[in-house]
Amino acid sequence: MIAELIVGGLASGSLYALIGIAIVLVLQATEVPNFAQGEMAMFATFVAYTLLTTYGLSWWVVLPATLLFAAVQGLVVQQVVIRPLLGAPIINAVIATLGLNLALHSVAGMIWGNQTHVLPSPVGDQPPFQMFGVNVSQDSALTIAVSVAMIIAFTLILRHTRAGIALRAASQNQSVAKLMGIAVSRAFAMAWAMGAMAGAVAGLLVAPILFLDVNLMGALLIKGFAGAVLGGLSNLGAVFFGGLMLGVVENLLGAYVSGTFSEALSFTLIIVVLIVAPNGIFGRVKSQKV
Amino acid sequence: MPVADTSASTKRTLLTAAVSIAALALITSFAGGYFVYLLNLIGIFSLVAIGLNLLIGFSGQSSLGHAGFFAIGAYASGLLTKLLGLPFWVAIPIAGALATVIGALIALPALRLKNLYLAIATLGFGIVAQKLIFEWRTLTGGGGGLQVPPPTFLHLSVSDGNRMAWVIAITLAAGTWAASRVASGRTGRALVMLRESEAAAGCTGIHVARYKVVAFALSAFYTAVAGGLYANLVRYINPESFGVNMSIMFLAMIVIGGLGSVRGALLGAAFYVAVPEAVRGFKDAPGLIFGLSLMLVMILLPGGLISLFRKRKGNAA
Repeated sequence: MIAELIVGGLASGSLYALIGIAIVLVLQATEVPNFAQGEMAMFATFVAYTLLTTYGLSWWVVLPATLLFAAVQGLVVQQVVIRPLLGAPIINAVIATLGLNLALHSVAGMIWGNQTHVLPSPVGDQPPFQMFGVNVSQDSALTIAVSVAMIIAFTLILRHTRAGIALRAASQNQSVAKLMGIAVSRAFAMAWAMGAMAGAVAGLLVAPILFLDVNLMGALLIKGFAGAVLGGLSNLGAVFFGGLMLGVVENLLGAYVSGTFSEALSFTLIIVVLIVAPNGIFGRVKSQKV
Repeated sequence: MPVADTSASTKRTLLTAAVSIAALALITSFAGGYFVYLLNLIGIFSLVAIGLNLLIGFSGQSSLGHAGFFAIGAYASGLLTKLLGLPFWVAIPIAGALATVIGALIALPALRLKNLYLAIATLGFGIVAQKLIFEWRTLTGGGGGLQVPPPTFLHLSVSDGNRMAWVIAITLAAGTWAASRVASGRTGRALVMLRESEAAAGCTGIHVARYKVVAFALSAFYTAVAGGLYANLVRYINPESFGVNMSIMFLAMIVIGGLGSVRGALLGAAFYVAVPEAVRGFKDAPGLIFGLSLMLVMILLPGGLISLFRKRKGNAA
């Protein structure tokens, strides 16, 4: 019983982690907490839905097409909405992403309507399988596997490719990075594209489990933020563990303490953790020059 | 401030007050009930904006949980009137005081938190507050909502929107006056210093922790009073409406108006009520237009709507 709960928690936690990573990639680069991340992902998921159902394409075509759409979406948002705001106080960009969130929500409602749709699962309706004597549903397994793969890929890109190193340099110090000949604006665009792709993957994974409608990502976005903060915003690994932890804790609290209060209890727990560790569990304290 | 300047500004204040009273008298006697209802909402959200602005605009803290204080104000005042039979003008200040205490308690974890960490912690408070109201059915009525008895002032019914408008206007005037006093006084300067640099504030002898608590408590008081007025205006409240979205919209409201300015707060509240109202006719479009206008205002007017007026003044001089 408890093992199944933990696996379920890991699956929802991986989704929080993907959203959290999308947020942190953008946050580290441009310092903007992107409140539109959820609706950007919802929009990309609807694009995948249209490709799958209206055009009847297979997942092998839809997945790369959706990722491409998400990357372009991230680039466009960065260039059109965020770039003009880079000099202004951060809060302005935050409100702009909020506006984008509302606008995308409304546009998605116009295109796809406000009713619920069913996104077919990439693993179909196969029965759950046994792993170390624990029942694991195909969807949970896929969610966990994909998000782990995604984290590893992103970490490798950030550590070992020229573009990834440029992005890290630009996140550390914009002006010095510029002086070193790094195209800072291009690096930021890459962060937004990667963030949007992580978000879209989360959308594709969660939509078959829940129903697909315009409110798909609302709760997930908040949990993504919460998981990221719980882990600590300083690196992707911390964010990933924060998301997983939130998912597992929430599932266990829901089953053993109180189903109705599981969300409120998890947030109480987050507040308590933050009192003890103000920069998240694995977060490093950024030393500040006075 | 020089003496002559003070008397000039007093004259201007008196003039503004006279004009506002005359305008309000005209509107409540001639304009339609719905228009007055919207004005009432603007007044209520202006109070929220003023309070939140003291916290965010002045002291530089962040909060995504103020819908919690709004809900506490609404429910506390509604329940005090309904269960204890207190008149609304006693119940609302008590609700405000309750929220002040809670706000001060919330400030304690906030002392160590910054930026997004603080935002998520306060967001957690908002979610917990909403959930508690939702689940404490025996007291609050839970998801079924709470019917608030019609407000009366010394046997005079003020449940009518036109009469409520005077209550809201007087509260708003008092709130604006008090906030300006706080903002231009010792506390306001301390809060601004806090926003610019905590270390520097501490070095100049400003008690950082105390002023953070003060900022949270003050903003909680304003928001709860607004919540109380809201409960008495709409007379039916439901925990559904006091969610995360409301907290986020509160934040948007004050940034759109202009951070760190009391008049900006009023503009932001007017924008928040008026823009969705103006485009209500289009199906699905209110979100699109409101969202686009949020983005446009931020890109074109980084200082918020208030900078429109400042710029004009600068050109004229």
